[in-house]
Amino acid sequence: MFRLDPITRRQLQRFRSIKRGYGSFLILCGLLLLSTCAELLVGSRALIVKYHGDYYFPTYTAFHPGADFGGDYSYETNYRKLKERFATEARGDWVLLPPVPYNPYENSFEEGIYPPTPPSFSQRHFLGTDTTGRDVLARLFYGFRTAMIFSLLFLVLVYVVGIAIGCAMGFFGGIFDLLMQRVIEIWSNIPFLYIVIIIASIVTPNLLLLLGIVVLFSWTDMTYYMRTAAYREKARDYVAAARVLGAGSGRIIFHHILPNLISLTVTYMPFTISGAITLLTALDFLGFGLPPPTPSWGELLEQGTSNLNAPWIVSSAFFALVLVLSLVTFIGEAIREAFDPKKFSIYQ
Amino acid sequence: MKNLLRFFSERGRGVLTPHRFLKLPLIAALAVVLVSSCAKKETAVATRDIGPEAEAFYKSHSEAFHFATLADLPKDLVWHDGSDVPEFSSPDAKRGGMLHYFISDFPRTLRFYGPDSQESFRAFILDYNALTLTQQQPNTGQYFPGLARAWAYGADHRTMYFKLDPDARYSDGVPVKADDYLFAFFFLRSHYIKDPYTSNYIKENYSGITKYDDYTISLAWREPKPDLDDRLGSFAPVPQHFYQELGDDYMQRYQWIMEPTTGPYMVRPEDLHKGKYIDLTRVPNWWTGEKRFYRHRYNIDRIHLEVIREPDKACEVFKRGDIDVFPLNLTKYWYNMVPNDDALVQKGYVHKVIFYNQLPVPSYGFYINTSAPLLNNRDVREGIAYASNFELVDRQYFHGDWVRMQTSSDGYAEVPFPGIHARPYSIDKALEHFAKAGFTKRGPDGILTDANGRRLSFTISTGYDTFRDVLTILRQEAAKAGLELNIEILDENTGAKKIDEKHHQIAFIALSTPNGKYPDYRQYYYSVYANKPQNNNLTNTVDPEMDKLIDAYDKAESMDEIRSLAAKLEQKVYDNAAFIPAFKMPFYRAAYWRWIKWPKGFGVRSGQTLGEDTTQNGLYWIDEDAKKETLDARNSGQTFPPEIKVYDQWKAGNE
Repeated sequence: MFRLDPITRRQLQRFRSIKRGYGSFLILCGLLLLSTCAELLVGSRALIVKYHGDYYFPTYTAFHPGADFGGDYSYETNYRKLKERFATEARGDWVLLPPVPYNPYENSFEEGIYPPTPPSFSQRHFLGTDTTGRDVLARLFYGFRTAMIFSLLFLVLVYVVGIAIGCAMGFFGGIFDLLMQRVIEIWSNIPFLYIVIIIASIVTPNLLLLLGIVVLFSWTDMTYYMRTAAYREKARDYVAAARVLGAGSGRIIFHHILPNLISLTVTYMPFTISGAITLLTALDFLGFGLPPPTPSWGELLEQGTSNLNAPWIVSSAFFALVLVLSLVTFIGEAIREAFDPKKFSIYQ
Repeated sequence: MKNLLRFFSERGRGVLTPHRFLKLPLIAALAVVLVSSCAKKETAVATRDIGPEAEAFYKSHSEAFHFATLADLPKDLVWHDGSDVPEFSSPDAKRGGMLHYFISDFPRTLRFYGPDSQESFRAFILDYNALTLTQQQPNTGQYFPGLARAWAYGADHRTMYFKLDPDARYSDGVPVKADDYLFAFFFLRSHYIKDPYTSNYIKENYSGITKYDDYTISLAWREPKPDLDDRLGSFAPVPQHFYQELGDDYMQRYQWIMEPTTGPYMVRPEDLHKGKYIDLTRVPNWWTGEKRFYRHRYNIDRIHLEVIREPDKACEVFKRGDIDVFPLNLTKYWYNMVPNDDALVQKGYVHKVIFYNQLPVPSYGFYINTSAPLLNNRDVREGIAYASNFELVDRQYFHGDWVRMQTSSDGYAEVPFPGIHARPYSIDKALEHFAKAGFTKRGPDGILTDANGRRLSFTISTGYDTFRDVLTILRQEAAKAGLELNIEILDENTGAKKIDEKHHQIAFIALSTPNGKYPDYRQYYYSVYANKPQNNNLTNTVDPEMDKLIDAYDKAESMDEIRSLAAKLEQKVYDNAAFIPAFKMPFYRAAYWRWIKWPKGFGVRSGQTLGEDTTQNGLYWIDEDAKKETLDARNSGQTFPPEIKVYDQWKAGNE
């Protein structure tokens, strides 16, 4: 709808030239991409099974009962056991498992060994197991996906609502602005965390419900920035020129003002994302987040801190959190620097 | 009945194990009274005299309050005085010393009744402390004298006669007389105490009290019962002299003053440091003196209860030596926080112990709502029972320490159910039963569906955050049998409310089992309570045959009759498959510093756990020399032989 103006294009170029930030951006995008096909890397379903001359690709299909591969049970095939069986039978059948052959929900118990168990390469529990014998790496990886889905949706929703209301306040001004300001002041004084805790204790929230509650109390921050920016842009000559040429409010907002606010919104994005990740983790840590057994970092941290004798749990979750938050912060810094207007203005 | 649902509070109480916290609300209903050192205050001029009001109450309720003379006592009474009951304390016990222990929250009041009174702290000052008319020998189950020195049973199986011990004194020195028992009925039924549950319980169950003279009374239950000692013998007086000014300001006036007690420990006003700690002091010259059953017990002079909110922190404080005893019931504490190879244990400073006990256990399990769609089908319920892998949870999550609960009422020594066993995990049997209910086809995710396309999916509601892990394991295992179990973990109170109002499909909860001699079925399975909120028929069971059995059971007058009817009822519960028994802990375990000394067999058969036990049985003592020796050794590095003991004399099958 709107074309990037030359200044924005130059800003993006500058962002690309800041190595640490751009590198972080690429790594995070890579991780995101990997997490979209997480089932191929971390999961209990085999990638390929060759059985009696036929090839099966169970990852994304309906489940295969054990009986499909000559087992004596009707529930989902245990592909790790199947692999062992094929190996001992040596009839040319084989199974290709993902690098981490566990899904984030299954409890792998071994007789006489009590979870949590420390990292083991032979068991392919690369980061050990948690208190119920679930693979920590699997939970970490799927937890990352949950956190990223949550924070990206959060970003989109908060920005759509925040920008719409903020722009409208700045552009129209007057009574509307005055009223909305009071509404926002009152709204932002509601203790958000308590509300979430109360709601979560009455109903068990799922991802969308939790997102809804959080967005409901988070859109206000964005409106203030947008309101000020819209006020400023409105007074500029180009807006007046557009108006003289006969442009309506809609055209002015979408074609003239919004493109000029892009740098402002983009600058805030990484910080919104890191905020959302932290928030979700905190809620899960406190037990008011997503219902069990959803894999989540907060839940892992909680387990880890109450089982300090199993340091692999808490350290995995901790380092993962630090890593992702650092990446996001590096990106944020780089964007802020790239979009800093001082670089492109000359003051005398 | 509402009260019985109040135990969602494991989280708040931290290490308190189910065994312990479940019992309180129950005893609550019966027990009464206690002490305080605030006798001085009583000398202040009373602005009000409750006496005339109480007298008027006795007169206007002449069906419950009777006055007679000794001549009116039935002539053929056989008096018991417990002289044939063995003592259970150790003559080696030494008096003195201060025990350091912790509570997870500061009590909200020292009152025994009314709002906020039914919390765990009340055990320290009332439930395990105050003496009742007769007391139960914790090993043999026989009764021995408490405030009554002798007792006799009426021919009607409803009445018990008591000769009060003239030596009995409250902690403020005032003798305990018959009038205090009359007053107790007035007090507990009065609206001043704002405790409708207790008031109602007293009114509904006790049919009357008779005073023969200052030291002779009789109490009567409304129905004939085979276990009157348990019901009537556990009554305790309320000191009328302390409540002279009882009125509408009961809550404020008595909020932080402990009622004078007949038991061993009291709270002095100066020992109350709100939010920080509270000290219990042994009553000076406690009236039991050297009487049998009371000598060598309650040996510790002071009990210091520090508020430590986090159980993990309390464990660290224990390891530092600032707490003397610490319960290790949870797997995490026994194996990880204080493991056998811990330096403190290996150097012999801290001893560990496992003690097998025998007592009715809280009924942990799935309560299936038989009014819910699909769940009203018995085959579905039976399938769920076979698909619930509690064995795996016991074996792998609880390290094999916990065992499967077999019936809805395990642990009643006199009413065993040897023939009934919980359905074991079996995918084949589960599938067989689901198939009978029409669920034959597995969907793309492995969950069964029926011809109408309905998925075999249910939600488990609970307020126990502690059992989050357990439920996730059960969910995974159930999926193998084509059953989807969603987990809904709610806040304690919300969870209790949801289940209370029967909005659940499957509830995971433990109901405390009545602590008498035999289980109760009426509140859990009587049809009157089905599909109505606020009661304990959580399965919404409606079965006319069961109703008949329960009616007969509640009227039964002999233990043989009770046993045979209970067996039939328990079989019905099994056949109905609406309650799936989960697990129980057949022992308690703890760690303690080596200066705490114990009687030979360590504990008593019906002992619950360590901690409140101090006031419950008071069998252990502090060896000050050993304490000094241990502390010195700790500084110098000297060690003692490690001690990790298992006492299994009461383990099932070992008696």
